[in-house]
Amino acid sequence: MSAPIQPPSTNVPAKPTATPADAAGPGNAEPGNAGPGTAAPPGRGGRRVQRLRATLTAYALIGPSLLGVLAFLLAPVVIVAVISLFRWNLLSSPKFIGLANYRRMAHDGSVWHSVLVTFAYVVLTIPVQTVLALLLAVMLNTRLRGVKVLRAVYVVPWMATPVVMGVVWRWIFDGRHGAVNAFLALFGVDAVNWLQSTTLALPTVAIVGIWSSAGYTMLFFLAGLQGIPDHLYEAARVDGATPVQQFFRITLPLLRPTMFFVLVTSVIGSFQVFDTVYSMTAPNYGGPGNATAVLNFKIYSTAFQLFDDGYASAIAMLLFGLLLVLTLAQVLYFRKRTTYEHG
Amino acid sequence: MRSRRIVSRALLYLVLIVGAVLTLFPYLMVVLTSLKTAPQLNSVSPWLPAVPGTLSNYIRLFNGKIADISFLAYLWHTVLFTVILTAGQLVFTTFAAYAFARLRFVGRDVLFWAYLATMMVPNVVTMIPLYLIMRQIGWIDTWFGLMAPYILGSPYGIFLMRQFFRGLPADLEDAARIDGAGTLTILLRIFVPLSRPALGTLTILTTVFAWHNFLWPLIITSGDNTKLVTVGIASLQGNLGADYNLMMAGSFVALVPLIVIFLLFQRTIVRSIVLTGMK
Repeated sequence: MSAPIQPPSTNVPAKPTATPADAAGPGNAEPGNAGPGTAAPPGRGGRRVQRLRATLTAYALIGPSLLGVLAFLLAPVVIVAVISLFRWNLLSSPKFIGLANYRRMAHDGSVWHSVLVTFAYVVLTIPVQTVLALLLAVMLNTRLRGVKVLRAVYVVPWMATPVVMGVVWRWIFDGRHGAVNAFLALFGVDAVNWLQSTTLALPTVAIVGIWSSAGYTMLFFLAGLQGIPDHLYEAARVDGATPVQQFFRITLPLLRPTMFFVLVTSVIGSFQVFDTVYSMTAPNYGGPGNATAVLNFKIYSTAFQLFDDGYASAIAMLLFGLLLVLTLAQVLYFRKRTTYEHG
Repeated sequence: MRSRRIVSRALLYLVLIVGAVLTLFPYLMVVLTSLKTAPQLNSVSPWLPAVPGTLSNYIRLFNGKIADISFLAYLWHTVLFTVILTAGQLVFTTFAAYAFARLRFVGRDVLFWAYLATMMVPNVVTMIPLYLIMRQIGWIDTWFGLMAPYILGSPYGIFLMRQFFRGLPADLEDAARIDGAGTLTILLRIFVPLSRPALGTLTILTTVFAWHNFLWPLIITSGDNTKLVTVGIASLQGNLGADYNLMMAGSFVALVPLIVIFLLFQRTIVRSIVLTGMK
């Protein structure tokens, strides 16, 4: 669902308390020590048995999830790496071709086009969505009447099924009778073919991405804002700081951990957009032309429509690699910039 | 000074309400459009209701197949999928989370890190191998194949529950152990009742995840006995994209269950989302 990132703004009861097993401490049950005739204190051998039993119980408990993680998450990563070295259409027997898929990828304009489209989508969504979410959070972090209802309203899109919403937004942006064009017509603007235009299709899909995540992201900022102590603002007011200065000097720096979490998870999410692209561009999926063929879509169509599965696996490895690099870059950036604040 | 405050407050309301209207606008479009006839799509402004309205789109949707799609059956499949998946995830996630939080066993830390590491794996990367695995064991286009990758618990859920379990006091558990209670008894009698909020969060997150799931069902299902409503909507769109009145009736039906859940559990949901950001 999302990455294991830990922003420190936390009220979660996550204090590591000592478990009974921890209390027993390590190295308590060396083998051979509790044999008959030794002066071992009573219960030492029992403790060893107890520990064995705990291990057995533990494995019985994690068994199902372990099977799931091994078979459906870890094994697939290994398998996809292996398949990327083969030519395979799933029907004939696979043929080992070494790194040929990767070499082919390097010269394949359509793959790099997909990389570009994916980055364009991320650039179109993330800044707008993040700024919008932050502004909403600041506006909703007041004691206005009805503010709770408004907060809830902004979260509703999180519950909206992306594929379904893609269909709905497609109707809203419909070239002939869609609401957007009908609205523009009131001001004498000619009909725009939003999703049929190679330049406008991707931004249109991005609008839907922003619509569905802005409110959800707002909640994280809201939680972050509520963690900032009031006395900082009081002190700033005493010193004559304007609200704008307070925002840039207090709010924004103290929200950095939240910002880190929000950016990392939303970049990961945007990078893997698929559902809305699929339903908004039917039946010319990824179109018009290849205008909305993001990497996720490119992998899907290569593997499951063209049945070029070795090659699709290589593109999947590329996506994986790009995401790792992108995430690592963000971790490093925020680590460098975050340290001094709590000093 | 005072009047300036009133003006700024009014502006704030205005901006927030305009934003809220834009947020809810797609839903309004779904309802209005689904009650229109095909000619009314052209003759009535998109944001105005049709007079008289019609239920014919819903009737068409629920009466047998449209373009070879049994929409109602798919909807029922989604309900089943969501319920079974959520139940399975709750049980297996709770088991594993308890072991990771409270038991000391060989390989615990290595396994836990392996679980965490899998959260970095993008969904699409596992799709091709998953398909091959399912093909190998003959689970293509079966409910087993559809459910297997998700039902055994998610690393993310396990992480969430483990953090919660670790925060619970140890005394109760110790006392129960001294009284001779087994692990399962402790888990069911002590941990589960104390973990209602966390379990609520997990339930919400899993329900939404299952209901939204699209890419895997699209790949693994092909017959009328396994397809989910998300796949149904997508194929409706592919087959008769321009029948927006019918499409919106389908969308309404697919969206309503989660909207009802949202209205009922709004507080839990908002808290759940915030919790996922704090970990």
